[in-house]
Order: sequence, then structure tokens, then C-alpha cells
Amino acid sequence: MNQTVFAPWEDPAAKPLIQFKNVTKRYGDFTAIDNQSFDIYEQEFFALLGPSGCGKTTMMRMLAGFETPTEGTILLGGEDIAPIPPNKRAVNMMFQSYALFPHLSIWENIAFGLRRDKKPNDEIQARVEEMLKLTRLTQFAKRKPHQISGGQRQRVALARSLAKAPKLLLLDEPLGALDAKLRQDTQFELMDIQEKTGTTFVIVTHDQEEAMTVASRVAVMDHGQIIQAAPPAQIYEAPNSVYVADFIGDVTIIEGAVTAKDNGYDIAFAEGQSVYAESTLNLTNGQTGYIAIRPEKVAISSEKPERVRNAVQGKIIDIAYLGNLSTYYVELPNGQTVKSQTANTRRLSRRSFTWEDEVWLSWTDTAGILLER
Amino acid sequence: MRRLTWFNTTSLTLGFVFLYLPMVILIIFSFNESKLVTVWAGFSTKWYGEVIRNEAFLSAAWVTLRVAVVSSTIATVLGTMAAYVLVRAGRFKGRTLFSGMIYAPLVMPEVITGLSLLLLFIGIGLDRGIFTIILAHTTFSMCYVSVVVSSRLVSFDQSLEEAALDLGCTPMESFRLVTLPIIAPAVISGWLLAFTLSLDDLVIASFTAGPSATTLPIKIWSSIRLGVSPEINALSTLMIGVVTVGVITASIISKRATLRQQAEERAADQP
Repeated sequence: MNQTVFAPWEDPAAKPLIQFKNVTKRYGDFTAIDNQSFDIYEQEFFALLGPSGCGKTTMMRMLAGFETPTEGTILLGGEDIAPIPPNKRAVNMMFQSYALFPHLSIWENIAFGLRRDKKPNDEIQARVEEMLKLTRLTQFAKRKPHQISGGQRQRVALARSLAKAPKLLLLDEPLGALDAKLRQDTQFELMDIQEKTGTTFVIVTHDQEEAMTVASRVAVMDHGQIIQAAPPAQIYEAPNSVYVADFIGDVTIIEGAVTAKDNGYDIAFAEGQSVYAESTLNLTNGQTGYIAIRPEKVAISSEKPERVRNAVQGKIIDIAYLGNLSTYYVELPNGQTVKSQTANTRRLSRRSFTWEDEVWLSWTDTAGILLER
Repeated sequence: MRRLTWFNTTSLTLGFVFLYLPMVILIIFSFNESKLVTVWAGFSTKWYGEVIRNEAFLSAAWVTLRVAVVSSTIATVLGTMAAYVLVRAGRFKGRTLFSGMIYAPLVMPEVITGLSLLLLFIGIGLDRGIFTIILAHTTFSMCYVSVVVSSRLVSFDQSLEEAALDLGCTPMESFRLVTLPIIAPAVISGWLLAFTLSLDDLVIASFTAGPSATTLPIKIWSSIRLGVSPEINALSTLMIGVVTVGVITASIISKRATLRQQAEERAADQP
């Protein structure tokens, strides 16, 4: 089978839809976006992920036209969008509060943008019906926004922003107001609609699970900078910094001086104790390095495992029981805590470990990721 | 429900008697047969007939009505604009000063407002008449409109306007199609407030009215200096009626809007 993977960012010939070129945004002394350059490609589902105040919303508002960059340019389809006001941009936005017009019916809300384009009436009619069908809202067309549920309102907001068939759709925390269960369903629905319409989506979220689920690429942001922009699997398995490793998912970070060995490095994290990780990084001996290990890649056992290079002994200080999984917090003699996660395939009463147990933790040479910063 | 104790009942009664007894007496005596205001001589509606046949009263009433409609309309437009800028423009330099200056005429003694307007009109050589009363009434009722409208705008979700812009509206269209319909109840009750204020203003009107135009309150004031007649009682009762209807309508409109908004918020809370 010769299936092409969707990865235009790896194709040097691909033409990006959006290009940020050395974009900086300042509010007085505060730098919200710090000299950022990156590309977003057509049909991508691009997630801007970060804690509040990291600049992700500013990025989105600059794309929508509600903010202008202090320095640098933003190109949409090769054209500088700075002089184009929001009402003239082929960009639509779905607002965090949904911003549905309370005095208009669902039907009129969706038709609002089409009416502004002075489209013929039958065309508007057809397009609104199509949008209602796409978002499964046909039966609510005549209702007002306050007469429908939160999930339905979210879909109206989506339908309204998609009605004008924008080149780019911006979604500002689109699922923030929904409860967990509805959120999951809606995530898949969102991906489905994105695939059906072929629109480029840029989503802003602080929820890493949401970003990982829906996005083709995730950009992890901090203090006005994109730290890493990569597909979800790469963000998780090969973070480029301690910040990204720590922000996405659960992780144990072990810090120590490195010594080159075989295809990687030994990291001495305590007196006479070291762990090993394969790495292609080029570090000098004695430099400080960080190993990031995902808890699910750490095995827990009562006996010292054989033929494994990375094995440490410690005491269980905490157990986080999540039902399907349990995370053990194991304290090593030097005070370092290492997390180990196991699937609870057995009933709780027959679980092998409990608090204060002395256990061995082990992982393979490739499980830990060596990071410079 | 809290029980009405004798103390509460007494204070309530005293309060309302204090507020409304004079008006009730006025209304009762407007139906008096006798020409003597303070002597009851049986029920009659003849003074209402006299009022309706009195040319001077009718022309004054017509002036008052025109002044009230025109000035409250202009005041509503200007007051809404002022409220919009003060709520939306964010922190520009001197914002506090400006908003303070909008509210200052609310507490300014009417005599001072009237006198300063009079000096201005004389200074620029404007003949006093219906036009100057309209200007004067617009000036002071605008503040009331702006207070009412800005309190609504504060709770207005600004992303609604951004959404309108995003969907292709020009800023003017977004105001006309989205903002205005939503704040309409506040704008209407602002208009009604301005209308009733203009209707019964005596002090400012007497400073700015000329021989060519007399408003009803001025007419009443000048005729009772010759002695109170039952005719005045009848006229005043009619005015009380108009003002009451205006105030009640304004409060019903704003009450309904609040209830609807609360219902929407409740609905929004449910998943």
C-alpha cells in the first residue's frame, strides 16, 4: 500500500496558506508575541496550545484582524493581511462565548454572514440548510439561541462560522464550555467536519488532550513563543525541551551530568548512580542533561530485573488510582521521585504493590529522552 | 414571606401618605363642582371641559409636547453615543474626567443650568423660543439617557460585535444590526425618561423660554400666581396621568428586558 501521509510541513515544495514572518506584538512594555515565524498549510488542523497568557489568543486575534502585529507580517495565501479589516478577510472565527446573536433565530444566525455578502436569497437558503444538516440542527432552525442547549449552541456557532466557506477557520477554545463527556463527542465531530469541508482550522486551547486529539500539528507556546510545533505523536514521544515534555502528559524529569557512552549518554543523577539514554544530541561530558521518561514506559517489579541497564530501587510513597490505570510515585534514596504507570488488568484486591513497598523500577535504553534544556 | 409588623405597616403608611397625599388631594379637588378650591361642593368634570376649551393651555401643551418629543429624541441619540464611547473606548487619557463630566449635570442645581444656558443664548444672540427650550432640555436629559444606556452596555458581550465584524459587517452595520437591537430596551427607557423629564421641567424652561413659546408647567406656574383655580387642578391631574403612564411604561420595558436576560442566562447555564 502506498498511502500518502498528510504532512505538508515536511514537503519543501508545499505552499503554506498562512505565513507568520518575524511577527511581534507588544502591549506597552509587555511582549505578547515575541518574533515568531512559522507556516500553516492548507487543510491543516493546527492547534495553539499553552497556559493562559502565553500569547495563543493574541495569535488568533491577529489572524482574525482584531489585532495588528507591532512588527513583522502575516501572509494569507501570499498576501499581506495587515491592511485588510476583519470584515473583508476570508477568515471566520468561532468565539469562545459562541457570540450567537440573541435576537436572531438559529437560521438567521447562520444566514447572517451570507446576507452581508448580498448573495441571492435562494443561494442563502440552500447554504443555511446545508449547514444545518452538517451540524444536525435542522429541527432547531426556528429557535432562539437561549432555547437550545450548550452543545447545540456550540454547533450553531460552528455552522455560522463555516457558512461563508472561509479559507481559514479560527476556533477559540471551542469546547471550553462543554462538559467532559459532550466534549469528547464534539472533538470527533469537529474533526469530521474539518475533513468534510476541507477547511483549514486553527484552534486555540489550553487543554492538551483536546489539542492532541483533534490536531494534525500542535504548537506548544510559552511566553509569546512557539516552543515546538509538531504532530501530536512527536510532541509526546520526542519533545524538544523540558517545558514541552512537562506540559504534555505526565513525565518524570531526571537531571544530572552527562557522560558519552555507546550510542547515548549516562546521566549521573546521584552519588554513584546513573541512568542511560540513547540520544543523537551532541553534548560535552560533564554538561547538565535532563532525561524525560513517560510513566507508562517505566516497569515496576519487586525483584531486580535482569539484563536491563536502567534499574533503580525505591519506596512507593503515593498511588494515584484512576480506575483503568494506577500511577505509583516511587521515591529513590536521593529524594528523586519517579512515576510508573501500569494498567490495572487485575482486580484491586489482587494488586501486587502498596504503600511503603520497596520496589524496582526499570526502563529500556530508548524509553528516556535526553534533553538539553 | 416576612410578616408585616405594626411598625413596618406604620412606616409604610406614613411614607406613602407623605409622598402621595398632596397629589391625591389635588386629584380629588379637580373633580370639585365649586369654584373655590378648598370647599367641596359635589362631583363634577366641568373643569376638565374648561381646560380643553382653554386656548392658552392647549397651545402651551402643544409646545410642551413638541419640545419633549424632539429634545428626548436628540438626547437619546447623543446620550447613547456618549455611553457607547465611554464604555467601549477603553482607557483613553482623561476617561474618568469625561465620564465625571457626563454625570455632573445630574447633580447640578437646575437654576445654574438654566442661568448658564440663558447667558449662552444671549451671548450668541439666539432668540429665545421653542428652539432654545429644546436645546436646553436636550442638554440636561442627555445625561440621564447616557446613564441608563451605559449601565446596559457594561454587561454587553463585546464578542458579539466582533462576531458581526468577522461575518462581514462594517462597524456601522454591526452597531445597527447587532448592538442596537440588543440594547434597544435601555435606549427606549432612556427616551421615556428624557421625555417625562422634559414634560414637567419648569426651572430650566422658564430661563430659556421666550414670549413666543410657553410650556405647560410655565403656564400653570404663572396662572396660580393669580390664585389657584380648579381648572389648574384638572390640568395637573392630566399631567400626572401622562407622566405616570410614561414612567410605568419605562419601568415595565426595562423590567421585561431584565427578566428575559435572566432567562437567557439561566438557559445558558444548563448544558
